[in-house]
Amino acid sequence: GTTKTYQIPIGHLDYKFIEKCTDVKHLEKILRVLRSGEEGYYPELTLCCEKRIEHLDPGSRALRKDKPAATASDFTAEEWKTISGELMSWVTEMNEDDKKPQFLTTETLHERQDNLPPIRCSSSCLPANQNKKLQNKKRNKKNIPRDYSEWDKFDVEKECSKIDEGCEENNSKGRFFSRPSLPIIEKKIDTTGMTVKEKIFIATREKEKGNEAFAIGDYLEAVTYYSRSISVIPTAAAYNNKAQAEIKLQDWDNALQDCEKVLDMEPGNVKALMRRATVHNQLQNYQAAIEDLTKVLCVEPENAIAKKNLLEIEKKLKGLKPASESQGKGKRILIQDIEDAEGDEERRENREEHDRTSGDKKKKPQKHLSDHEGEVNGYLCSDQKSESPEAEICRSHGAGSQSAGGGSSTSLPPAAAKLKSEGNELFKSGQFGEAVLKYSEAIEYVSGLGEQSPDDLSILYSNRAACYLKEGNCSDCIQDCNRALELQPFSLKPLLRRAMANESMERYRQAYIDYKTVLQIDSSIQAANDSANRITKTLIDQDGPSWREKLPRIPVVPVAAQLHRWDGGNCASENKPRSEEAEEKFKMLKNEGNVFVKKGKYEEAVNKYSECMKLNTKECTIYTNRALCYLKLYKYEEAKQDCDHVLQIEDSNIKAFYRRALAYKGLQNYQASVDDFNRVLLIDPNVLEAKRELEEVTQLLNLDSSAAAGGQEKQRKKITIQEVSESDEEERQFATSEDVTDHVTSKEAVEKCVPLQTSGKLHISEPSNAYEFGQIINAVNTNKDKAACADLLTITDPQKLPVLLSNKLEGEILLIFIQSLEYYVLGKDPGLVYQHLFYLSKAERFKVVLALLTKNEKEQVQQLFDLLTENQSDQYSLEDLESLKKVYEL
Amino acid sequence: KIEKAKPIKCGTFGATSLQQRYLATGDFGGNLNVWNLEAPEIPVYSVKGHKEIINSIDGVGGLGIGEGAPEIVTGSRDGTVKVWDPRQKDTPVANMEPVQGESKRDCWTVAFGNAYNQEERVVCAGYDNGDIKLFDLKTMTLRWETNIKNGVCSVEFDRKDINMNKLVATSLEGKFHVFDMRTQHPTKGFSSVSEKVQKSTIWQVRHLPQNRDIFMTSGGAGSLHLWKYEYPAQRSKKDSEGAEMGVAGSVSLLQNVTLSTQPISSLDWSPDKKGLCVCGAFDQTVRVLIVTKLNKV
Repeated sequence: GTTKTYQIPIGHLDYKFIEKCTDVKHLEKILRVLRSGEEGYYPELTLCCEKRIEHLDPGSRALRKDKPAATASDFTAEEWKTISGELMSWVTEMNEDDKKPQFLTTETLHERQDNLPPIRCSSSCLPANQNKKLQNKKRNKKNIPRDYSEWDKFDVEKECSKIDEGCEENNSKGRFFSRPSLPIIEKKIDTTGMTVKEKIFIATREKEKGNEAFAIGDYLEAVTYYSRSISVIPTAAAYNNKAQAEIKLQDWDNALQDCEKVLDMEPGNVKALMRRATVHNQLQNYQAAIEDLTKVLCVEPENAIAKKNLLEIEKKLKGLKPASESQGKGKRILIQDIEDAEGDEERRENREEHDRTSGDKKKKPQKHLSDHEGEVNGYLCSDQKSESPEAEICRSHGAGSQSAGGGSSTSLPPAAAKLKSEGNELFKSGQFGEAVLKYSEAIEYVSGLGEQSPDDLSILYSNRAACYLKEGNCSDCIQDCNRALELQPFSLKPLLRRAMANESMERYRQAYIDYKTVLQIDSSIQAANDSANRITKTLIDQDGPSWREKLPRIPVVPVAAQLHRWDGGNCASENKPRSEEAEEKFKMLKNEGNVFVKKGKYEEAVNKYSECMKLNTKECTIYTNRALCYLKLYKYEEAKQDCDHVLQIEDSNIKAFYRRALAYKGLQNYQASVDDFNRVLLIDPNVLEAKRELEEVTQLLNLDSSAAAGGQEKQRKKITIQEVSESDEEERQFATSEDVTDHVTSKEAVEKCVPLQTSGKLHISEPSNAYEFGQIINAVNTNKDKAACADLLTITDPQKLPVLLSNKLEGEILLIFIQSLEYYVLGKDPGLVYQHLFYLSKAERFKVVLALLTKNEKEQVQQLFDLLTENQSDQYSLEDLESLKKVYEL
Repeated sequence: KIEKAKPIKCGTFGATSLQQRYLATGDFGGNLNVWNLEAPEIPVYSVKGHKEIINSIDGVGGLGIGEGAPEIVTGSRDGTVKVWDPRQKDTPVANMEPVQGESKRDCWTVAFGNAYNQEERVVCAGYDNGDIKLFDLKTMTLRWETNIKNGVCSVEFDRKDINMNKLVATSLEGKFHVFDMRTQHPTKGFSSVSEKVQKSTIWQVRHLPQNRDIFMTSGGAGSLHLWKYEYPAQRSKKDSEGAEMGVAGSVSLLQNVTLSTQPISSLDWSPDKKGLCVCGAFDQTVRVLIVTKLNKV
């Protein structure tokens, strides 16, 4: 029989059935039947059914039960005491307030009412001509109420409010005007005539609004509301929260001020100290940051975050010193200085420009080139928070000496040049706000002269844009970049800066366009490449596969601009002394090598690095990098040799030790490996990977090696992740620095993920189940890596294919299978190709997928079959092939 | 205790200052009155605003909530929604009513919102046929309308005094809808998420004054439900034409209680004590409840 409602077989009202059933809908029906009691009353079965549903779908609506309100008896005595105690104290508090005399006099009331905005529609503050209209309208309104459609036509009010808005605009802060999209919210609240109680109420309310905005990431809005709260009653909490929101906005200067206000009010406020430390860290006042963190640790010795940050900052501080000493060692400094060094590069640029006023303008683009290289690195650098002012200073010495011979006058008028160099200095010392002022003055001065040279003005704008970008003031940055680009179309720096600003404002499309333009001008800019890729991902997530259609047009860079660049490049390099040229080439090769590493093409990377070594044998990083590649390629002996070489030059190179340890591990020389790991930890005890590795190797050493293979395999994957991300940026320490909660960090994380995936797929191991297989396929598919796919297919037993694919076969997957079989497997083993094709056709969903292939895709399949026919093998006959073709509907 | 001739349907303190505390009421005869409770004999403001019962009233600009002028909005069975300024006698400052000849729908609920500066302000009205209309008082336009199929019993913005963030609308058939009001798509309007609570009407929704993402609904079966809105990772996305489109989040039930066998028709939170709320039901009872652990959500 069945139940009355839902007609469920009676047999389903059974423990065994319920425990096995996975259909939540069905279970919900059973539960309803059970609860209704129409088939009898089974409390335990009902409970069992509820549990099952909860297990399958914790959010199921059927689980909602009507509950009576909790009363005193539902709580423990203690809980109830706190609840009622709180209530009682609140009641007495409110009573007391009520008894207090009302402060308000009629005067203040009037005053307040005077402050109110006019009555809607009222003509009090409007010019006469509009008055008439308004009155007409009013009369109309009295007689005929307006209907909805009229609402759309009516515009007098709009004009009124426009006028109001005009007034409003004059009062409110300029900041919002650069962003017309943002709603205009007054930053201050008029508190005339308010009682203390009211003020407290409003201040709390505004703060709560700020908290809510903060919680969903509207930091600008949050800052506004906190400011409003502060304007009513300044509280430490509001300042503190505002500081946090400003940190999120990377508005370091204001955040610093706010932290200091909190600390003025509450000298030992731990949160404020932590926040100020973060700001100091960002502004590169490491010493101050350390002091703050120490104070925090005095109050809360167990504060883990403070400890961690302290260690990181100390490390940074330490890391700076050797860097500044080892000026001669090239690479280190090269990567670190950059971001801010552009200031003096530009100065140099000016000088050179002046030297060649006679007409050799060709030098200039080259300068741009080297210049933006700096910037590119700087970009990476700043992302990963390892800027170093000291290293940069020594760089500026270098620059100074280089340009010493070149004369020191600039093409700018002396006053402007002075302002500009002052701006550059300020920029370098991290005082971006002041730098902006200097640049602005210079801009004013230059444009005031009338006989402006667009180049200089463009550079000034570009520099100011850099300051804005640093301050997190993206919209102004974009404006300045636009101006700079108007003056000098297709110059790289403003383009890059605009792209970064757009990206951080989440205007991914514009950013994408800018990066693409940059790449058209110079495709070797790694940061632009990376960012473009990153944005592509974001855009795909956002807009789906057709994201490209939504892009604005990418401007075509005139060939002249590109050629110009190249000409300049060649010409300049001819002019250059040989050594410099070699250095340039060295750098280029190295960068290419790094790119290959990131893409997971280790063999190519090894080649590049080897070429590098021909040019310069003293550069340690090349060896450590090559060692890394060898490790990836399982060439442990070579890796070890490279590390040995490095250690001869630099006897405490931590990376070399670490990689040699890994190499020893690969060579199964566990004792030596343990020794090297210990040395790593001796140099820097915080390298977690090394600790982990050490433990493992020690275990391996203790055990015997037979069971080791599996673990080793696993471990290797882990390393992959860290090592590659690290190789992006040679200067980074092993321990990846995670800055507490910053969105820059998340960006970084994204960047890390990319190499992770690409490198992961190179180590394809035979998948043991459908899940693993699916994971690999997904990775392969997202990267369209046919080689990896071919590897996968080679090691996979064709017979297992239908099982491994389960129901996950899709058009894209089929296609990539076909392509990789054609390009990579066919030449080696046509038999295997046939086998795969045969078993592929047995997979679930195969028919569906096949039916959905486009004509073009079908042609690809056809092509593969044609090639199979040509490459005869004894594993299949032509008849077999023909019948398979039929299965494939060809 | 004060007795008046006409039965009173609804009232609000929303347009009065924290010191004055004048109560604005709408009654069955369509009159809007503002009372000084210290001297309740004669209303300080009175107008025969509507031909039929005033179903719903809301105020803004008072109590320290909402920038700009104090205003009262009333929605009536006669199909009109009118906005009043207590400083202007006899005539509404804005009036929204259907086109002549178009059938008049019973307006059940009204609410102010978007009052984050002196100019911006919107009125949202819900009707018995499921229409929700959003009137922009700054531009004096009908900014958006939609239909949720069942009569709209209650609408409320999560906060009146911020840039429109969320709107909750509850319906006759036990569903409520949460609209994300930050992003308005040119054709699709605002995105929303809906949740079915129970079979009976949801009479009212009220947001916690101290946390805009928590709200309580009161149901026809005498129950209260406490909900939390969770935002999606990205609140807006681009549609195929590149226009911004809102993305709705999700709601989760935090707690529910059943207090009565009769519908609970009204509900409000204390602005001072977090978690303290009061509700009135058809069983002639007013209940005061305290919701604890709200700061842990």
